[in-house]
Amino acid sequence: MLHLAAALALATTAVEPRVVWSDASVTLLGAPSPDGRFLSYVEPGSGALSVYDVAGGNKRALVTRPAGSNEFAYFSTVSPDSRQIAFAWFNDEGFYDLRVVSVEGGSPRVLYRNEEAGFVQPCAWTPDGASILTLFFRKDNISQIALVPARGGPMKVLRSLHWVYPKRMDLAPDGRFIVYDSFAGAASGDRTIFLLAADGSKEVKLVARPGSHLFPLWTPDGKHVVYTSDSGGTMDAWMLDIADGKPQGEPRVVRRNLGRALPLGITRDWNYYYGVRSGASDVFVTTLDSPAADARRVTLRFPERNSMPAWSPDGRRLAYLSRRGTENFGEQARVIVVREIDRQEEREVAVKLAHIERVRWSGDGRLVVSGSISKGRSGLYLVDPQSSAMRPLIEEAGGPYRGFEGVMPAGGRRIYYLRGEGELRARDLESGEEMTLARGASLSHLALSPDGKTLACVAGPDSILLTPVEGGERKRLPFAEATELDWGKVLIAGKGSELWRLDPEGGPPRLLPSPGNRERGFSQHPDGKRIALTAGKEKSEIRVLRLR
Amino acid sequence: MRRLAVAVALATLILGAAEKKLVVPAGLDAYLPVPDSNPLTAGKVELGRKLFFDKRLSRDQSVSCATCHDPAIAFTDRRKTAAGVNGREGPRRVPRIANRVYGKSFFWDGRAGSLEEQVLQPIANPKEMDLDVAEAASRVGLDVPALEQALASYVRTILAGDSPYDRYLAGDAGALTARQREGLRLFRGKAGCTSCHLGPNLTDEAFHNTGVGWPADPGRYQVTKVETDRGAFKTPGLREAARTPPYMHDGSLATLEDVVEFYSKGGQGNPYLDPEIRKLDLTAAEKAALVAFLEALNGKVRDGM
Repeated sequence: MLHLAAALALATTAVEPRVVWSDASVTLLGAPSPDGRFLSYVEPGSGALSVYDVAGGNKRALVTRPAGSNEFAYFSTVSPDSRQIAFAWFNDEGFYDLRVVSVEGGSPRVLYRNEEAGFVQPCAWTPDGASILTLFFRKDNISQIALVPARGGPMKVLRSLHWVYPKRMDLAPDGRFIVYDSFAGAASGDRTIFLLAADGSKEVKLVARPGSHLFPLWTPDGKHVVYTSDSGGTMDAWMLDIADGKPQGEPRVVRRNLGRALPLGITRDWNYYYGVRSGASDVFVTTLDSPAADARRVTLRFPERNSMPAWSPDGRRLAYLSRRGTENFGEQARVIVVREIDRQEEREVAVKLAHIERVRWSGDGRLVVSGSISKGRSGLYLVDPQSSAMRPLIEEAGGPYRGFEGVMPAGGRRIYYLRGEGELRARDLESGEEMTLARGASLSHLALSPDGKTLACVAGPDSILLTPVEGGERKRLPFAEATELDWGKVLIAGKGSELWRLDPEGGPPRLLPSPGNRERGFSQHPDGKRIALTAGKEKSEIRVLRLR
Repeated sequence: MRRLAVAVALATLILGAAEKKLVVPAGLDAYLPVPDSNPLTAGKVELGRKLFFDKRLSRDQSVSCATCHDPAIAFTDRRKTAAGVNGREGPRRVPRIANRVYGKSFFWDGRAGSLEEQVLQPIANPKEMDLDVAEAASRVGLDVPALEQALASYVRTILAGDSPYDRYLAGDAGALTARQREGLRLFRGKAGCTSCHLGPNLTDEAFHNTGVGWPADPGRYQVTKVETDRGAFKTPGLREAARTPPYMHDGSLATLEDVVEFYSKGGQGNPYLDPEIRKLDLTAAEKAALVAFLEALNGKVRDGM
């Protein structure tokens, strides 16, 4: 009876959430400090591990990257005494290591660095601050829940999960139990919440009801787990009582309709911090001359979830990526959609990839998809847009974290591709022979000239590299901070929301009419007049829900 | 007085046993998936250990579990295929039983869904111990469920880990030699071994047709009756592999070098060859590096509580 009364009290005392931070700097990779004074986050652009002072709104960078490098911070979690931050760092060798730094700044210490477990997500600290509960994603396709000593020493594996990456896990305030989300069953796409004893002695499925149950977090008293669930039709916050590692009674809703929520943590004073993505982006077709006025949305189903369009060589079809499933901190679940542009027809290409990074057309009308398969290999795959039949063009087990990007001219005999950020290569698909065309730091965004003779890619922060496909002298076009490239009738670079026409002969770049709120992803139509682009505005803000 | 002393000693033994905790070697999951119906207790594990070495469980009392699963060589034997009572020979290599606590199915063809289901089958198998399980249980003064639970509990405590590879993954960058690191790179890269041999126990617990022994043994087909499962066998874990030849389900490959050569050539062609098996064309140096890496999977094997 007392238990029920306490539950009702908790369920009814939740008040309206309030926004604590909402500007262009908001990223959803950090966590609130247990004392509620600050949030750790990654500063967009610089990639610096930073802290945001909740009361005053001040921001302070703690760990910045060396000049000229591409390193950056990623997930982070704050120690129980709110004095240290454990964080993932994308390092100079191209994988993530685990580091810790004082909130006062200073040099961070590397706690774990090994390419074999090259993606790490620190999630929580043990109550004594001695270890960090960390999720590892290994190159052999296994994710592992492990404890890493905060003062150095070997990590201890608690649980291995095959090709499942929990979206979130947390450690109870007394350090005895971990909660995490994973697939509800072998054949289920739904996730649910599991409790794992921190000494490995037991594991219990906490939530058995239908729906996707995600992002579990412990309340400060260790008596409840708060998680999000779509079982009520919207993404709601639910609470389940726990006693001695066992669920007590039925879970209940504490807040309906959180929106596109990504929970970040619960502070000692019961403030539930979560990020919310709002706004939307979609794929539009417009003209280069008057992009803002002529824009029309071209997607038919799943509006406001689409991005990264690519025109087919005949200009009759448009391929783009469409987001599916629940929110993710990192890479989102995507499918490929092909729209017949002259007909009201849109369909999904049933490609068997675990993750899709980008899609392009080959010169002869097939899709060149970069992504990874569930066997832990990544690469470039050739996909028939009609039958969805797929075959690997370039594939590596445990490939580079920045993946592959490729262009394939008509004829299908050759592919040019970027491997990670360091190499531009050509492969003869018949003989398997490979040739390195360019090598260097920070190569990205590959495009092929219409005559098939020259490759362009962004080379570092201040230039575009032009490389003849048959070898020969390379040329650099000075252009700062390009974020994309597309070579249709003309060579166009994206720079933030702007589009710039570049002259391959070295003439000055020219700013094209503004398409307005353009986001990443554009493609020129073969007619040289139209362009498909992603537009809209996705925004993130951080809200707090008082749980009692 | 003597009765009291015995009672106290017994209570101490029981309490002591209850406090014992299984120490999991480095590199393996601390979480051991043990069924609620057969919780791991020191008493059951110790009883299971005794039964594991008890030859009364075979018809002519000549063979125990440990005859084929010799603790001195990581609970395997040296024979190509298993030997049973009266010199009878089984069709397949003795399976590795270390780390089976993490297993999802058992035997080369996966015909048992749990260790409880598995442990009694060799006792009844005419080519192995050839004894009715009820009689086996009676011989050791137990009922069948107690025999089954004790043996399964003991097998769950046979763990292999704490190898140089585990220490390397745990953060000791110097635990592997340069050649072993190159072997690891090949293992998960060009050679594609991690398509099947992955995770702490280096197995996907799935069934694959590599062409070994084709078409003599139907393998997984015997269980599923699905034609495409013909010739498929469960991926074995690779821990302690370097000191436990011969290899494959029929023991047909004598050395690790032979195994690497077999895969380098793309396995043995047949209609149901797994698509992951393809010609690798490894160089001599690459083959040597792979073998060196496999040797880094030798660590410590422990059993009991």
